[in-house]
Amino acid sequence: MTSTPIELAATMRGGTKDYGSGDTAVRALDGLDVDIARHEFTAIMGPSGSGKSTLLHTLAGLDRLTAGQSSIADTIITGLSEAAITQVRRDNIGFVFQSFNLIPSLSAKENITLPLDIAGVDVDPAWFDEIIGILGLGDRLTHLPAELSGGQQQRVAVARALVARPEIIFADEPSGNLDSKSGAELLGFMRRAVKEFGQTIVMVTHDPTAASYSDRILFLEDGRIVDEMREPTADRVLDRMKQMGH
Amino acid sequence: MFRLAVKSVRHNPKRLILTAVAVALGVMLVAATLTLTNALSSGFSKLFEEIYAGTDIIVETDPDAVDADEEEGSPFAAADAVLIPDDLEAIRAVDGVERAEGGVQVMGSVLAKDFEPTGDLTGAGGPPSQLFNWAGDPRIDQSTLVEGSGPAADDEMVLDLDSAPSLGYEIGDTVSVATETGVSEFELVGLVRFGESNSLQGATLGYMTEAAALELTGDDGYQNAAVIVEEGANQDSVAAAIGEVIPDGTRAITGEAKAAEQTEALDEVFQYIDIFAIAFALIALFVGSYIIVNTFRIIVTQRTREFGLMRAIGVTGKQLRRMILLEAVVIALVASTVGLVVGYLGAVGLSMIVESFTGDLFGTVTLPLDAVLASYVLGMIVTVASALIPAIHASTISPMEALREAGTESKKPLHLRNIVGGAMALLGVLAIAVGLYMDLDRPYIYVGVGAVLLVLGVTLLAAQVLVPLAYALKAFLTRLFGIDGKLAANNIHREPRRSANTAAALMIGVMLLALVATFTESLKTVVSDQFAGNNADFFVLDPSGPIPEGALEIIEGEDGVAFVTSTGLAQATVDGVNRSVATVDPETAEQAFDYNNEPGFDQMDGGVFIDPTLKEAGVAVGDELTIEGPEGTATLTVTGEYLNAGDAQVWIPEDIAAEILGEVAIFQSMVVLEDDADVEALREQIVDALAEDYPLVILQSPDAFQQLANQFIDLLLGVISALLAAALIVALLGVANTLLLSVTERTREIGLLRAVGVKRGSVWRMITIESMVMSVFGTILGMLLGVGLGAALVLALQEFGFDTVTVPWMWMAIYTIAAAVAGILAAIWPAWRASRLDILKAIATDG
Repeated sequence: MTSTPIELAATMRGGTKDYGSGDTAVRALDGLDVDIARHEFTAIMGPSGSGKSTLLHTLAGLDRLTAGQSSIADTIITGLSEAAITQVRRDNIGFVFQSFNLIPSLSAKENITLPLDIAGVDVDPAWFDEIIGILGLGDRLTHLPAELSGGQQQRVAVARALVARPEIIFADEPSGNLDSKSGAELLGFMRRAVKEFGQTIVMVTHDPTAASYSDRILFLEDGRIVDEMREPTADRVLDRMKQMGH
Repeated sequence: MFRLAVKSVRHNPKRLILTAVAVALGVMLVAATLTLTNALSSGFSKLFEEIYAGTDIIVETDPDAVDADEEEGSPFAAADAVLIPDDLEAIRAVDGVERAEGGVQVMGSVLAKDFEPTGDLTGAGGPPSQLFNWAGDPRIDQSTLVEGSGPAADDEMVLDLDSAPSLGYEIGDTVSVATETGVSEFELVGLVRFGESNSLQGATLGYMTEAAALELTGDDGYQNAAVIVEEGANQDSVAAAIGEVIPDGTRAITGEAKAAEQTEALDEVFQYIDIFAIAFALIALFVGSYIIVNTFRIIVTQRTREFGLMRAIGVTGKQLRRMILLEAVVIALVASTVGLVVGYLGAVGLSMIVESFTGDLFGTVTLPLDAVLASYVLGMIVTVASALIPAIHASTISPMEALREAGTESKKPLHLRNIVGGAMALLGVLAIAVGLYMDLDRPYIYVGVGAVLLVLGVTLLAAQVLVPLAYALKAFLTRLFGIDGKLAANNIHREPRRSANTAAALMIGVMLLALVATFTESLKTVVSDQFAGNNADFFVLDPSGPIPEGALEIIEGEDGVAFVTSTGLAQATVDGVNRSVATVDPETAEQAFDYNNEPGFDQMDGGVFIDPTLKEAGVAVGDELTIEGPEGTATLTVTGEYLNAGDAQVWIPEDIAAEILGEVAIFQSMVVLEDDADVEALREQIVDALAEDYPLVILQSPDAFQQLANQFIDLLLGVISALLAAALIVALLGVANTLLLSVTERTREIGLLRAVGVKRGSVWRMITIESMVMSVFGTILGMLLGVGLGAALVLALQEFGFDTVTVPWMWMAIYTIAAAVAGILAAIWPAWRASRLDILKAIATDG
């Protein structure tokens, strides 16, 4: 299930994003066309300022496009009201950020079930237990975030993203703050989620090793997609990046 | 959502402690006041029940039947006699009446055994004496003989068992009783106990024979009658039957109904006490609301990333808003409960302390339902309303905030704030001016609303005005304290809204203090201005009632006394309207005292003077007024004006008054001595002359009188200041709270400062300077507003004799110093926290 993107989890057509106005205007996205296939692990790479984070934010409905349109599953989110976009995020999207992923006052378990609690949906105990088992969080559920290690915190965040079985999970440098062992563990879990549960994940990273866990890499530069790579390895990614001048 | 709110509150209680304390303080005042007045009310209703316990029916003056022109009467006179012995016989003849006795109360004081008249206020006074005729029946007297015998002969009396020893009397002693007509002597023949436990609230209770009591009142009838009905008879129907036989203008009422009526009347008084105290509690809560706004605003800022994260994973803005308001509800519940409990315990403690001096005064101190309701409702409204704006702000946080680094908060310009603030302040000033200077109904509403608007407006403006002012001190602070001063100035400048709100909370408290101080200092000026126009050598006073005529005759007869001039006070119908009337001696009044009138009383010329009330009613000099009194009617020409409002409305010469008003109670007399008289020697001479018959009459020198007035004014200032203390404490908590939260917020920055070598003491000093600058500026702003409003108030009261605004410089200096000290105190906790921060942790901290 590598190269048959029949079903699309998210799309963007002519996506343009400007910051500021007049002389200080900066074009972060420059008429992008992007398709995110279901059940695939997509990585977005690029140097600082290439617009990779902006792409993630606009795809996920956290930020609005200046021009063009984007959709999640069958819903075009461009032009929706803030409340409607929030609804789309709640029902279809999971997030894993680089840091500050958890509400400090809630325990690990409460953080994981938070999206379901907000939506007023019951937790599927079998699914919950399966995720917890895979992520190895069983003995950490009652702890507050401050009592967890960085790797554990990110695993809780992944569990939270998975628990509602969202259409798509967006991850922004999820392993960026972790040591290499914890980072490898985390990315392994994410890959398993795609392979074993058919989850769709889009991840922004600048780390070739992290990107090598994905099925497909989009390379961004100056707000445009400059290349695409399938079945990446860390070495191939590194070579590609050297070409880009990094 | 509620669970999330509770978790959030529990997770980080420290930042909410001071907020909760602020709410709790205000609620505490409310709860304590309501508990105390409730207990007082139940205590008095118990007393009333005891007073009327044995008596089935009381016959007395019907309050509804009193003619308008007789209402009030003179303020000191005892109740008039309304029943003659024949009436009593008629009552006794009614079916079902077992016994009926007339009641006579004597206005007088039982003198202590070792009483020495000094002519001073000290040594006189004390609790009043209650003197009645003795019926010998506990159901009527409400007292039981416990020792000796009841008064049988007309020169015998009994006292209550607590007063007799405290006044120094034993059975067999001669007791002196001073009344308006002189001093009478009785033999103490017995002791009585009032009710069950002789709880008289410190008053002296005495009984004498009916004939002796009537002799002292000078009346030939009874002021009331107490009736005992036969067993099995229906009290209500007997009361109705008695109602048929008693004279017009009197009524028969059952003891039970009378007690209820008295309790009700007293409860009305307590209601005013409640309103007064709750007003101060509201001020404290209002100040507290500033802290709540600040706290929630800071919390929202600190939790921006948390809220952003929630928004990212699908929490709607509405849900976020609801969650923060729920947090406010949780705080309000906790704080109100604490305030309620502490307030109640405080009331219990206070009532025990008070009762250790006065004896039984309060009923059972229970927690009344209205205290519970008022506490929770007020606490809830203030907290939730204050959290509303920060909550709305939180609901607009973009999910992108979750991805930003901490502390990159967007700054909104202050333009809108300034415009709204300016408009509110202007409207406020306008409303105050309208309330004070235009003749409108309920001017206090305009003044109150205006004051609130002005305060809110100034608060909003303070961000633009106060903070730059404080920032302008930067150079000065830098010079004085080096880098600490510079950083402190920067910190105040960094969050202008926060600094302004903090200073404004203090501003409100200080404003009210300065207002009251301006008012009372101006009042002192009025008093001393009035005394400047005084030629009298003594003022004559009688603390137990009106000044006895006999005493004045004695004083006039002394060698060296040039003359005595008196002012009487009565009510009369003037052109059909009930007015207060003062009587003066036109010949002498002006020589003793420079009244504020036009022309002087010496030019009354057999006419009357009118005060501003009548002038406003359309009466002018040259008009004629018809004055109708109990003794006759006279039509007199208005020959002048008395310029102070609030004293008597109509002033008439005392010789004319004697014809139409009869005997008028004298409330003020002034003694002028001959030019070469030795004032001290003459005073002693007069006091000696009065000692025989009028030992309670006081001769006060004008200086002492003025001092007394000033003491009273200072007491007023003291009481109001004490009540405002709650608001000021809350304001200081606000300073501490803001600093504490901003220290948390600046953890990294302080850690960095420490890392590059700034010493703990310097960090402490930096926080303290910040605190002091905010406190002093808040205080100065408060004083400016307070003195301004106080001056406006004084000028609005011009017709009551206020003409000069006295700025309370001394108080202002004290407030400023106190503010600086308070700033240092408020900084202790935050500065301690800041200076103790672990450098490494401070730098590593996240979110």
